[in-house]
Amino acid sequence: MTAYIEAILGRYVNLAINGVAHRIYFEEAGQGRPVLCLHTAGADTRQWRFVLNDPDFTNEHRYISFDMPWHGKSLPPEGFETEEYLLTTEAYIDAILSLCIALKLDRPLLAGCSMGGRIALQLAALYPDRFSGFIAIEASDFQPAWYDIDWFHRPDAHGGEMGAALVSANIAPQAPKPERWNTQWMFMQSGPGVFRGDLSFYTQDDSLIARLGAIDTTKTPVHIMCGEYDMTCTPEDARRTAEAIQGATLAIMKDLGHFPMSENPKAFKPYFMRAMKHMAASTAELTEA
Amino acid sequence: MSINRQQARQRLEDMAVALDRMPYIVRMGRLFNETVLIEIDGNEFYLAFDKGKVAEIKEGPSKKLPWRFALRAQGQALWEFWQPLPRPGYHDIFGLVKYGYGRIDGDILILIKNLRYFKEFMALGRQEANP
Repeated sequence: MTAYIEAILGRYVNLAINGVAHRIYFEEAGQGRPVLCLHTAGADTRQWRFVLNDPDFTNEHRYISFDMPWHGKSLPPEGFETEEYLLTTEAYIDAILSLCIALKLDRPLLAGCSMGGRIALQLAALYPDRFSGFIAIEASDFQPAWYDIDWFHRPDAHGGEMGAALVSANIAPQAPKPERWNTQWMFMQSGPGVFRGDLSFYTQDDSLIARLGAIDTTKTPVHIMCGEYDMTCTPEDARRTAEAIQGATLAIMKDLGHFPMSENPKAFKPYFMRAMKHMAASTAELTEA
Repeated sequence: MSINRQQARQRLEDMAVALDRMPYIVRMGRLFNETVLIEIDGNEFYLAFDKGKVAEIKEGPSKKLPWRFALRAQGQALWEFWQPLPRPGYHDIFGLVKYGYGRIDGDILILIKNLRYFKEFMALGRQEANP
């Protein structure tokens, strides 16, 4: 093959999140209005690499993705060795808002998957004025765990390998093999206890349910997307959530599971193109009004 | 389509043979020495795994044969699971459980510790869709 260098640029930003110093890895590509992309639990920015490498997207917008603290190439905070990592809604929101300020992102679009989609809906309810629209992928109001999250952090087993084997249940059989396994690799590489700590937020914090009614899509559009093979956030879960948000739109995606942008970028692309067009049309309408 | 006892046994035996041709899966299960009960439409099959290979398949019914964990499923659902491109819900053993086509009993932690191995084994009944 001919060697080539991708358009994605990766850098680090040092900033305070909830008053604590963090070194955060982020990467970006493209020009235009910013779109901040959030990865799923137990993974990192690499899930978004196909969008960031696709000129059909990056000719229109500047895409930025970052590794949450403890994830990917972002370090955990000083003193992590004595800390139990448990993500909370408040900490997650603070990380996103702090990063937006540090990178001087002016009302970006927010696109998040899984726990990233959940927090996007929380932000749509709590901080709508800080964003221009929300794309919530594989996102719903709440899912209790059908598994024991403690399985994924034990001294006698490899949490990453077990986590990857668990989430493989949520990858559609149509996913091309290389991307099926690259998607799982990120889980295999996840730091000890990180997937568990993310799942603690995702499977135990049900505070979004009461906030859905507060989301005002006449000010910021909300689009929910869900893969038909997703067993964690099922199409029924996504539909229930979309119905609870006045004016939210919903797309059920064929041949896709819980990691659509990562497991099958070709199948995901038309759905994400439509989501971005929908965001552009809605925000233009809102600006004119 | 339902699966009768003979067809179920044949499928499991074919999977055991296919496993022998998959050194990377056998390697993954090299510490797996357990008996797993696979029950298909009430027909019991006790698969004795030894160092990642299927050493023996014993048929039930039995109240005496010990097993570490069990996957019990409707034959129709397993038949769907073994299609090259299964429909949503039938595409993973946890899908069968979540949507009520089967259940997993016993020492689930042992299953989770060997989850990829066991899933790879179960998928050997499926023809490859994405080479």
